[in-house]
Amino acid sequence: MAKQNKNLLSGSPRITKVSFLGRVASVFQQHFQQVFSSFSELWKTPFATFMTILVLGVALSLPSVFHVLYKNTVHVTDQWDKASEISLFLNKDISEPRIQVLINKLELYSDIDSVSYISSHQALEEFKEMSGFSKALNYLDENPLPDVLIVVPVEQAMNAAGSKLLVAKLKREQGVELVRVDIDWIEKLQAILSVVVDIVIAIVILLLLSVLLIVSNTIRLNILNQRAEIEVFKLVGATNSFIQRPFLYAGAWYGFLGGVIAWLLTFGLVLSLRSGVNNLMGLYQTQFQISAMSIEEVAILIATATFLGFIASYISVKQYLVKIEPK
Amino acid sequence: MILFEEVNKIYAGDFCALKEVDFHLKQGEMAFLTGHSGSGKSTLLKLISLMERPTTGRIVINGNDISHIKGNDIPYMRRHIGMIFQDHRLFMNRTVLENVGLPLLIEGYNQYEIKRRSLVALDKVGLSGKEDYEPIHLSGGEQQRVGIARAIINQPPLLLADEPTGNLDPKLSLEILSLFESLNEFGMSVLIATHDLGLIAKMRYRTLTLKNGEMINDGLMRERNG
Repeated sequence: MAKQNKNLLSGSPRITKVSFLGRVASVFQQHFQQVFSSFSELWKTPFATFMTILVLGVALSLPSVFHVLYKNTVHVTDQWDKASEISLFLNKDISEPRIQVLINKLELYSDIDSVSYISSHQALEEFKEMSGFSKALNYLDENPLPDVLIVVPVEQAMNAAGSKLLVAKLKREQGVELVRVDIDWIEKLQAILSVVVDIVIAIVILLLLSVLLIVSNTIRLNILNQRAEIEVFKLVGATNSFIQRPFLYAGAWYGFLGGVIAWLLTFGLVLSLRSGVNNLMGLYQTQFQISAMSIEEVAILIATATFLGFIASYISVKQYLVKIEPK
Repeated sequence: MILFEEVNKIYAGDFCALKEVDFHLKQGEMAFLTGHSGSGKSTLLKLISLMERPTTGRIVINGNDISHIKGNDIPYMRRHIGMIFQDHRLFMNRTVLENVGLPLLIEGYNQYEIKRRSLVALDKVGLSGKEDYEPIHLSGGEQQRVGIARAIINQPPLLLADEPTGNLDPKLSLEILSLFESLNEFGMSVLIATHDLGLIAKMRYRTLTLKNGEMINDGLMRERNG
């Protein structure tokens, strides 16, 4: 009864055994095929897939929009911060030679780029011109305006901390009545920005968590829908890693496509804001162009989304697929 | 090929599905496994196909003691056991060729080799030319043949069939059994679980009979009946 014949199905005199290298090549080929087959599997239920990707895209677009807004706000405040000048109001009784000595001294400061002098007379003339009260001002017995030195700090000292240090030094100079720097509001803005950033980080964490949950749940449903197939795979000798691969790739695809949608939504938002922001900045005489995400940022967004999708899928696979056993 | 030594299987609630079962199916041997519903046939097949573990006793398949096999080794053991089911368990959304080639795909064969050997297997079960069909468009007998082709494609030394003729008419049932006979002639060990005593009586093969989890007979059905 037991006739040994190893050529039962070979169709050739001897069955072709697959070499080690052949198997390695085949594993890569399998991965390659599974990457693309898992993509086409997604579109067997196009509406459900599209809705899932759209939800992921919206959830991911919020962090990326927050990032773009933050980046641009920081850019704007940097510009305003750097444009700050320090005004030194001098004592009324200071003499011209003493002012010149002070200018020479200030120009030697390493954190001062330039010093310009506006005499009280010059200031009054400018005020008359700008205010339109020239006739009224002519009735004044004496010029009430002080001499002013406009100090522009060097690039390194243009930030809030550097300016503060410089102001402290300038206040100690003889002949200086008052030092004014328009930096307080920037500090307040930065403080508000810092609080906003903390809130945004918390929101971003929640949104990324929601992405994990959405993908994880989608993959869980896919696994449960394909329970019968998974059982057959296990019965014919498939390992868990072989069976789980398409699900992992599907999760990564969800993340990737969600990331692409998020990028497109963010890009669209930036485009729609561009003209409005330009008008607003024009009112402040500031040259500012709202910037979209850079290529590196887009790559990080999509890579993070893909990674999140993969991780979410991995969680579901470990939770559900591994436990399915044939009955 | 299959060795059962004092195998007991007790499920939760102290339900004893198999009691002290001993038998030995030699390499290249073909046998039937029969018994009424609840006799323990399915449990015995599940133990061989590693879907269940014995509570006590020893099971050796293809020379490997599988009584305490590690979970990670189970897929590799199953690759040496061809399994055929009453409900065929085919992927209805894949072609016949894809269904048959599945075990080779899992083993890492390249597409050329998978196709070549799948076509040979389909030819062997009489389904040449049906490779591009989806199983849903085939008859019950043809679907069973696809299941057989899938089971034998990687030439397992052991073939298990669970009620393979359960949904087929007598003529088709005999055709399927003769297919098993031809596979057995090539050296495969074949164990067929069925409760169709009429079918068993027509064939002259060893029959293992279970009743309430006990092996009550091990011999030729014709001899026992007559």
